Formats: sequence, structure tokens, C-alpha cells
Amino acid sequence: MMSKRTMRQVFVYGAVCLAIFLLPMLINDDFLLNRFARYLVLAMVSMALALSWGYAGILNLGQAMSFGLGSYCMAMALKLRTIPVHTGSEGLPDFMVWNNVEALPWFWKPFYSMPFAIAAGIIGPMIVSAILAWFMFRGRVTGVYVAIITLATLVVVNLVIIDQQWATGGFNGITDLAQLELFGITFDAYSATTYYLIAICLTVCLFLALAVTKSKAGLILQAIRDQEDRVRFFGYDVALFKTMVFCISAGIAGLAGMLYTIVMEFASPTFLGVQLSLSIVIWCAVGGRQSLVGALLGAILVAGMQGALSESEVFLDTWTLVMGALFVLVVLFLPNGIASLGEKLTEKFGGRRATPEPAKRGNSIARSTKLAEGK
Amino acid sequence: MEFLFEQFITGLSIGSILLIVALGLSIIYGSMGVINMAHGEFIMLGAYGAWALKAYAGISLFPSLIIIFIATALLGALIERGVIRYLYRRPIDTILATWGIGVMLQQLVRLTAGGELRYVEMPPSLAATVDIFGVDVSAYRVFIIIAGAALFAATWMLVNKTTVGMQLRAVVQDRSIATAFGINASTIYTGTFAYGAGLAGLAGALVAPLKSVSPEMGTGYVVDAFFVVVLGGVQSLFGTVASSVLLGQLSGVLAYWQNDTVAKALVLVGIVILIRFRPQGLFVTRVRT
Amino acid sequence: MTAHLELSDVSASFNGFKAVNGLSLKVEKGELRCLIGPNGAGKTTALDLICGKTVPSGGSIRFKGIELGRHDDYQIARSGVGRKFQVPSVFRQLTVRENLEVAYCKRNGVLANLLRWAHSADSDGLDKLAEFVGLSDQLNVPAAHLSHGQTQWLEIALLLAQDAELILLDEPTAGMTVQETQKTADICNRLKGKHTIIVVEHDMGFVKAIGDIISVMHQGKLLAEGPVAEIENNPKVKQVYLGSVGISGA
Repeated sequence: MMSKRTMRQVFVYGAVCLAIFLLPMLINDDFLLNRFARYLVLAMVSMALALSWGYAGILNLGQAMSFGLGSYCMAMALKLRTIPVHTGSEGLPDFMVWNNVEALPWFWKPFYSMPFAIAAGIIGPMIVSAILAWFMFRGRVTGVYVAIITLATLVVVNLVIIDQQWATGGFNGITDLAQLELFGITFDAYSATTYYLIAICLTVCLFLALAVTKSKAGLILQAIRDQEDRVRFFGYDVALFKTMVFCISAGIAGLAGMLYTIVMEFASPTFLGVQLSLSIVIWCAVGGRQSLVGALLGAILVAGMQGALSESEVFLDTWTLVMGALFVLVVLFLPNGIASLGEKLTEKFGGRRATPEPAKRGNSIARSTKLAEGK
Repeated sequence: MEFLFEQFITGLSIGSILLIVALGLSIIYGSMGVINMAHGEFIMLGAYGAWALKAYAGISLFPSLIIIFIATALLGALIERGVIRYLYRRPIDTILATWGIGVMLQQLVRLTAGGELRYVEMPPSLAATVDIFGVDVSAYRVFIIIAGAALFAATWMLVNKTTVGMQLRAVVQDRSIATAFGINASTIYTGTFAYGAGLAGLAGALVAPLKSVSPEMGTGYVVDAFFVVVLGGVQSLFGTVASSVLLGQLSGVLAYWQNDTVAKALVLVGIVILIRFRPQGLFVTRVRT
Repeated sequence: MTAHLELSDVSASFNGFKAVNGLSLKVEKGELRCLIGPNGAGKTTALDLICGKTVPSGGSIRFKGIELGRHDDYQIARSGVGRKFQVPSVFRQLTVRENLEVAYCKRNGVLANLLRWAHSADSDGLDKLAEFVGLSDQLNVPAAHLSHGQTQWLEIALLLAQDAELILLDEPTAGMTVQETQKTADICNRLKGKHTIIVVEHDMGFVKAIGDIISVMHQGKLLAEGPVAEIENNPKVKQVYLGSVGISGA
């Protein structure tokens, strides 16, 4: 049986997804569509972070690691489908030829298979995260130390990828990729097809994450966020629960990373950079860490504003300043982000009704979506 | 033998820089539980202060140290009053807020002083090298080692030998009880944050002649400083010294033996393993909770 | 026949300070045992040792004949040990109902809980529990909004929902009114026989109302053990308490 609150949530989530699907009808510009597709991918990672941070209290500052690993998996598969500019022996990727690599490294070979690449892009980050989570949570590392370990791990992986230029393309990443072809459909980065692919993935992941939070496990995770030790004395293996949510979050981030490669048409070490990883935290915090859809909209809103402002010369420099200030203000006054603002507003205007009307809430969020899209 | 000694001095010199850089962070984190991500930007501001005072007012490094300490401390007090004090109940959020402040400070400097590299002149009196047991060492490096020791001694005295320090320790133990005994905890916190920020500013000014000054220079320092504090154990000033020296020697050896990237990655891996198995730091014994 | 819970020569030390030093204790199945003693006697630490919050530095703790010392706290909880803490600890951001659901933990696995909706647990049973502790009207209120007394009740309800074989209560009546204390005593008496219970308590009135056998701890050791009347007249116990505050005022 669904509670009123759950019904309301499903309604709002559905409305947001519907708006996302309807958007291409309003846009004729392929360039703009590509950009929105990019924001949707970023929204996916932000949502994934909300799942582990907002619901289980795991502040993962290395969320970009899963994202980046996913994006490299897709990039490797697409690279092997291009006709190299400089053909070496056995059709080596161009940057390997430049690095005097004789033969394709063994770990590149399975990526000739697209199903393998897709599976690797999701399961790979999950396995890496599972190992990391097991390592941390078995040792009962909590709070700030989780943040440090995840950040440090991200930096290590980033350093290794940049250092191992012969296999990863180093600083430049993997560029000049083929277009993804699945079931006879070609996914051009600048097309509605790709946009819909991303919209579908986003919707599926959003509702999957919602289901996780609505399960009993989701409830236990929230209890863990509140009082980890107390949960243990009810007989739950806290480390296992945390590992589970950490992995689901990583899987979603990995999928988002793959989609990002398709939209951007390259993979770069910046995809698993500290900058991006901290940006994800900002989107999530601004949107509302305890609301999946809030985190999602936060990413679209902030990344969208960034995209719009950094285009005009005047705002290019001040943007970072505005962003920093915005972030400090949100942390100070809206610890649960814009999503909580929506709730507060409905409470204020909805009178003293115990349960805010779903339609109102839907409207206020739809309005903030408009704001994001209008820019 | 001479080679070993040279390595040792290099390590000690790195270690003393780490100590100076970490001291401010250590005192803020150790006593207030606030991880000040803007610490690196305070260091950067100190370095720019040294550069600007020389370039525009012609003040040389030594006198400008005092001005820089006071200025960054005031800025720190302002930030504590304006932002940090509302977040004591939400320690994770202080990371986010101070990071946001750091981003703003960085961008402000980029907008006003420009993004290009700046250089701070070494004081002429310390530009030479001195001979220690047959090894040529830059006089400025020796000065840094001495300055690190002096700053540590001053901080230790302040915390352990003065009334203010005693009040601080009381507030750290139990804020509400300390307040009940008439200690003004909020002033103590403001003062502590200001002192920590001032130390960061000093650190920036002191290291400025050794490195180039840029708006991004703080990021690396805050990471190093943080690792020093974690390694040494929160709330332990002696731990901070011990871990600075240890990390300094370690990076000296690693840098000699491997390339920079690998050395950096190895240190990070070491830190991760350390946090996992000894979150209380290397130099702190277990206490009853 | 082994006892339900048996501690033999158990020690715990913090930095050389022995909070519990060679404690031996036997509790039979279905018994309600009160554990008293002056401040610093090691009562809370003894409970911490049983439920795995503190790892013993020596001795053995056997529950149903199984050695607990080598298990993690959540595994000990799974084997049927429930604990109420001195400082009420409930999940403040969750509603009363959600709190009860977390505590109702017949299945502990991750997968089992992932494939089950949150509100499908034995609803009637949980509602009855809430009614029992007088929180029916607060079912959908976040626990953070409850008063101190209500929080205590919620935590007792959590223990009942958990339905543990062995229940450890650390000062269950702290901060309660006389009536509330009476009600807590009633609950304890009702649980007696069905569950094995160990209560750490300072309130001698409460102890007299519920206890059969009292164990007195002093300086980390067992000082005396016996029925209430016998303990009250025990010269050693008197001396220990007179040395501090006196048995009724402790």
C-alpha cells in the first residue's frame, strides 16, 4: 500500500520526467538539445549522490570516480570502432601509436564487444566501489573520514589515468570516437535520439532509486544516517547496507559516465577530476540532498546557469564568485536545498493543511524547471 | 653519510614548511572540529599579501609578516562570525561552506590581482647559503626551520600556559559546562579561528619566496596540511610536529626515488590506509569514550 | 545445565584503567536481574561488554552457550541481545512508526530488506505497541519532536518490537515521573519469564518493585548477590554505599 507521501512523490517525479520527455518538442536547435542532454546526464550523477549522501549519510566526495570509469569504458569501446587517423599495426588507437605501443593492451581487447563495454561501464564502478566501501565501512570509518578517503581515492585513480598515457591517452583523454550504434539505431550526440536515450536512462534510474528509498532497506539506511550504532544493536549489518547503497549509487554514476561520453564525444581525465566531483556535491546540496528529484533539478539548475552565464563575457569571471556565494548561502539557510524551499512554500501558501497538496508542490517544482530551461 | 645528511636536511625543510602550513589547520580542527577548506586560500592570501606589500608599498618581507598576520586573522574572525558559527552543529556542512568561501576568495584574488604567477623576493640577508657540517643549505630554508619551531612553541605556550588557552581547552572539552562557568565560548571560538587563519596567512608569506604565487596555490597546501593533521592526530600539537617531520622526510625520500605522480599517489594511498586503521592518528593513544 | 547468560572473569580496560575487573555473573533464562552499584562500579561497561559495544580484554561471555567475545555487535544483536542505552537513542529524523519498523527486524539481510516495501511490516502489531506505550497519536511525528519522557517510551517500544531474548536496560527510569516509573516497572514484570532481562538502575524503589535477585558491583567486580532483603542488610554493601552516598540515594 502506498502512503500519501509516496503517492505525492511518485506524482512529482513523474511530472518532472514527463517535462524532460516533452522538452525536445520545444527546441529545434540541435546544439541546445545536446547541451540539455548533457545537463540531464549530470543530473543523474547528482541524483545518485543524493541516494548515498542524503539517505545514508555517506558523503562521497569521489562520486566522479564512478562517473569517469563509466565514461572511459564507453570511450574505449567507441575508440575501437573508429578508423584511426594514424593506422598502426592491428589498427591501434592513434594515441597508442604516438606512444609507441606495439600491440593493443589486453584490457582493451574485450571492449571490441559493445555489450561487454556497457556491462563494464556499470559493473566496473560498482566493483571498485564495493571494494572501497567494504574497506571503509568494515572499519567503521564514518563522517568526515569517508569524505577524505573517497576524495583521496579519486585523486589516486585520476593520477594513475593521467600517468599511464600509453593506455589511457593521458591528459588528452580518448578523443575522435565513433558514434554509438545499438539495435541498428545510431546515437548522434546532436540528435533527439540521444536525448531520449538519456531521458529514458534517467527516468529508470530515478524510479529505481526511489524504490530503494521506499524499501525497508531504505528506511534502515535513513536510520543509519541518524544513529549508526543504534541500528547495529538491532542486528543489522550496517557495513553491508552502506556498501549496498554505495554500489547502487556507483552503478548509476557509471551509467551516467557512459552517456556523458556519448554526448561529449570524448572522455577526459577531467571527468574524474576533483573539480567535477565537488561540483556534484554542490548540485546535490543546492537541490536538496535529501530529495532525489531535488538533487536532479539542482544539477540542471546550477549547471544550466553556469552554462548560460559563462557564455557572456561579463559573467565569465564573476560566475565562480556567484557560485561560491550561492553555495555558502544554501548551506547556511537551506540545509536541505531548494527541495525544502518548495516544501516550505507549499506549507505557507497551502494554509495549515497537514499534508501539502500534491498539485501545488508539482507546480512549484515545474516552475523551477522552467527557470532552468529558460536560461 | 654526507648524502644522507643532505637528504635529512631536505626532508626537514619540507617538514618545517608542512608544519607551518598545518599548524593553523590543526588548531582550528583540533579545538573547534571545523575542517577549514578555505585554509589553503588563507595561505594564498598571505602569499599575495607579501607580494602586494612589496610591490605597492615597498615593505620587505619581515615587517610585512606582522601586517599579514593581523589582516588574515581579522578576515578569519569575520568569516567565523558571519558563517562558521552557525554551523557548529553540522560539522560536514562546515566543509561545504568553507569550501565555498575558498572558491570565492580564490576568484576574488584572480579578479583583482590577476591569474598570472607572481614572485616574492627573498630578504637579501637570507639569500646566501650556509654551511652545516659540510652541506650547503640555503639560509632561507634554515630560517624556515627556525620559524616553524618558533611558531609551534608560541602556539603551544598559548594553548597550554595562558588563561585564554586554558579556557579554550575547557570549551573543547565541554562547551556548555565551560559556558556555565562563565567562559565566553563564542569569543574563544572566534579568537581561535582568527588565530588559525592568521597562522595560515603567515605560512603563505613565509613560503612565498620559495614558490611561485598564484590564486590556485592554496589547494595543494590544504591537502598536505590536512594529511599532516590526520596523521598526527586531531587535538595533538606534538602529533602535528611529529607527522610534519615524518611526512617531510617521506616525501623527500619518495621524490628522490620515484617520479612525482607516483610519489603523490603513494602518499595518498598511505593516508587512506592510515585513516582506515588508525583514525585517531599515529601519535595519539586510545581514550575511553 | 548452563545459564542463559554467563560471564566469567571478564575484564575491560581503557588505557590501563580497569572499568571491569574479573566480573563473573550468571543469569538464568526468564530471570530479571538488577545490577546496582555506586557510580563508576562498571555497570554500564558490563552491559557494553555483553552487547559487544566494548570488546573484553579478558574472560569469557557466553550467551546460550555461545561465546560472544569474538562476535561483532550486530551479530550479537542477531543472536538475541537487545539493549536500551542510558541516553535515549532513537532515530530522530524518522517518525515513531518508522522507528518501530526499523526495530522490527525478523530478517536482517540486505537483499530481503531491499525487496520489501517499508510499510509492509506487521502493521497491527506495531500499532498495538505504540498504543501500549501511549504513542498512538504520535505515530507519524518525527521522533525529534517527542518530549524526553516520550522518547524513553519510544525506546522501550523499540525493544519490544525487536523482541530480543535477552534485554539489557540501562537506567530505564531516568528522568521519569513516579507514575511513569510505575508503568515501566509493570512492563518489566510482564516481560519477566518470557525474556531474560538485566536492569542497571539507581532507583531502589524501582529495583524493589521488579527485582528478584540483585547483583551489586563495586570497582569492576561483583560484590554481593542475593534477594532484595538480604542485599539491603549486607554489611559489605552498606559500607560501599555509605562510603559514597547511601544505597537509597545513589
